[in-house]
Amino acid sequence: MAEETSGIKVKVREFGSGVKEVSLKNRVSVGELVKSLGYIIEEYVVAVSGTIVTEDYLINDGDEVVLYPVVSGG
Amino acid sequence: MANCSICSKQAIYVIKSGGLALCKKHFLEYFDRKVRRTIRKNKLFRKNEHIVIAVSGGKDSLSLLHYTVNLSKRARMGWRITALTIDEGISGYRDYTIKRVEELSSSLGVELKIASFKDYFGYTLDEVVKISGERGLPYLPCTYCGVFRRYLLNRVAREISGTVLATAHHLDDVVQTYLINIFNNNWSNIHKLTPSLTSIHKLFVRRVKPFYEVLEKETTLYAILNGLYPSERTECPYAPLSFRWQVRRVLNYLEESRPGLKYSTMKSLMEATSLKNVASSEAMTCIVCGEPSSHEVCKACQLRAELGLLELREVKT
Ligand SMILES: [Zn+2]
Ligand SMILES: [Zn+2]
Repeated sequence: MAEETSGIKVKVREFGSGVKEVSLKNRVSVGELVKSLGYIIEEYVVAVSGTIVTEDYLINDGDEVVLYPVVSGG
Repeated sequence: MANCSICSKQAIYVIKSGGLALCKKHFLEYFDRKVRRTIRKNKLFRKNEHIVIAVSGGKDSLSLLHYTVNLSKRARMGWRITALTIDEGISGYRDYTIKRVEELSSSLGVELKIASFKDYFGYTLDEVVKISGERGLPYLPCTYCGVFRRYLLNRVAREISGTVLATAHHLDDVVQTYLINIFNNNWSNIHKLTPSLTSIHKLFVRRVKPFYEVLEKETTLYAILNGLYPSERTECPYAPLSFRWQVRRVLNYLEESRPGLKYSTMKSLMEATSLKNVASSEAMTCIVCGEPSSHEVCKACQLRAELGLLELREVKT
């Protein structure tokens, strides 16, 4: 699924927490990105640049990814 | 990039077990159909019902309040809706969430009732947790919180003349509770895990779960799409201490490798609860406080007695 590029950078913000910059060697899907951060895709709704996307969405260089945790106490 | 199976617009949600992708519009339709089916099939809401909705201020209960008020406008069944919030007294947590409930209920035009542990029991949850520690009692904060909250929800719903109490428990909650009770071999609790729970006790307010068949991921999406997802992360500080937290994580791992596992577990639960259809629970009256109970002394009074917080004058003779 991933195609070779010279590497891409994305901003990942977990809702309610801080923003982190993630560098990727290749374009990956949202599902793969979430997995690489050590998370379970079942536990997040993901938006890219303000739109909710499915986990097969391919990340572009410069994308702003927001993770909405599904799991919350209360 | 997945497209909607119905209209081929950009999808926002995929039902892996059903091989279906849905756009925003069709996701909301799917969500609505599913909840209405649960309500209809299990006769959750009748005509002229006074529906009391337990609202904690989290995304799930805000979604339930929002959904039910909108359904009420379409259904024209003469419902009256009141939001009921329990203030447990957890510092730094409840202050935010109560503000959210106040904002949503006023924008939806529904009444809001707030009842606190402090007012009814004399102590906040933080104080109870401290006393419990000093006494070396074996309970986790979530035990006190759960027991006292359920107790107050029933009592206050009745006091404000509610005819039915709706909670935002979704499929994930229900399946977690099912598994926890299997681990504990607690079948009387499993039999209570139905979309609608009644009791022959006249002080027991019928308790319903309209989101019974909805995944937590789906209530989250509903919340985000309707601008109800909380802007600051405020989860209960005690939640990660609970066993439920671990069960939830395990279930999500399993669901990822075997999509549809939560649904099949729910079907297992439905089969188990249909084996014994009449809930004989909560049919007794607590000899201390007079509330419905499944034992001679209700769980809330038992915990208060162990904490040394029960005053003798409260004992009804
Ligand atoms: Zn569509
Ligand atoms: Zn009692």
